[in-house]
Amino acid sequence: MVTAQERKVGIISCSGEGCVEGTISRVATRLVLGKLRPNETVTICLPLFLAGGKEEREFARDYPTITVDGCDKACAKIATGRYSGNPASSIVVTDLTKNWLCPQLSSRRKLNDETLTVAGKVAERIAEEVDVVLRRWV
Amino acid sequence: MSEYLRTVFDKFELLVRKGFYYTEDDLWVNIENDGVRVGVSDYLQRTSGDLAFMELPNPSSIVEKGKEFGTIESAKATVELLSPVSGKIAETNDKLAGKPELVNSDPYGEGWLVVIIPRNLEDDRRSLLSAEDYYKRMLEKLQSEHGKLESR
Amino acid sequence: MKMKATSQEKVVVIPCSGIGKAFGSISRDAVYEVTENLRKDTTQTLCLALLVSGDEESLQLVRNSKCITVDGCPLQCAQKNVSLAGGNLAGSLRVVDAYKDNRQLKPKSVTFLDSDGQQMALAIAEKVAEKVDDLLGEH
Repeated sequence: MVTAQERKVGIISCSGEGCVEGTISRVATRLVLGKLRPNETVTICLPLFLAGGKEEREFARDYPTITVDGCDKACAKIATGRYSGNPASSIVVTDLTKNWLCPQLSSRRKLNDETLTVAGKVAERIAEEVDVVLRRWV
Repeated sequence: MSEYLRTVFDKFELLVRKGFYYTEDDLWVNIENDGVRVGVSDYLQRTSGDLAFMELPNPSSIVEKGKEFGTIESAKATVELLSPVSGKIAETNDKLAGKPELVNSDPYGEGWLVVIIPRNLEDDRRSLLSAEDYYKRMLEKLQSEHGKLESR
Repeated sequence: MKMKATSQEKVVVIPCSGIGKAFGSISRDAVYEVTENLRKDTTQTLCLALLVSGDEESLQLVRNSKCITVDGCPLQCAQKNVSLAGGNLAGSLRVVDAYKDNRQLKPKSVTFLDSDGQQMALAIAEKVAEKVDDLLGEH
């Protein structure tokens, strides 16, 4: 039986290089991992997961996961479903930002202050989902 | 039956090879016919990060128990290696010069560091830990762990 | 005399972008430095995950272009994934090898690169740029 201490949620982020939303996805995930929910989350390295990383795939199979994708191509969600089982929750950054009053987002390489604020909001959204997933886990 | 004691920390599986001895500083020691083979534990390689440099003694060098005999280095940390026994270096793993990542990928196998011919193994062995005792120490360290371990 | 690259030919440079290590972040930044600055007319990048999710456009691109992967660590996930996708792998570099040439740099930060991380990214970006020139016959 998994104890309360062992309850962790795996966060799988796309980190897509092609667009700023990929960078936002990455930064937001790191904020959750390092600041917002450090004791409740583990990050799954997507490239390692895709390449067959045993620990990544086994964790995603045995623990609930939340995927964070930059765009609706949803690579992290697809890969997780394919190799370990459907995620407990999925977040797509472009789905969130279209409903927010967002400033002009910065380049994909260096996030300006406004875009960092957006990343912070995405991180809070992920953290809320972590709480929901953990509450559902009996 | 598995040849390892295992635990899972976050998503990482940490292994302790049964039948080996260990030091408090996370080195393993395997007593062989001609000497003792020494390497770093899975826990140490994981917490050290991707190793890029090693300073290891040449064969015939004299080492003293508890004293530094070499270092392993990553961008994250430089770790001093303290000799588990006193004696003479018989062999150094020369594969590590070109492939230091072997210590990360196979710490109990191809990633061994040195073979030492001990001067007084019976005395030095008394301060070594059994695999089971080292496993308990490792769990204690993990419980007081701060921060996250990196992917292997 | 070596032929210069055609205007259409671009080398595809793909980082691992591993999220767990500083070296993963460095691989990402190095590729941006190449594709947005050093060789912005002769290179492009794409999302590694698109290859595995089966995005047809991305698969065709890596199969029909020369590809260079930039991996953070010896696990070489970008190289493996591009190979598995049938990509035309023309070169692969590892950030850990750039570290071996720049031992004084100790990048620590993962989320946002610190000064040492930025310097290491520039160092490996230069090596990637040289490899791009080599592949396009521009030396």
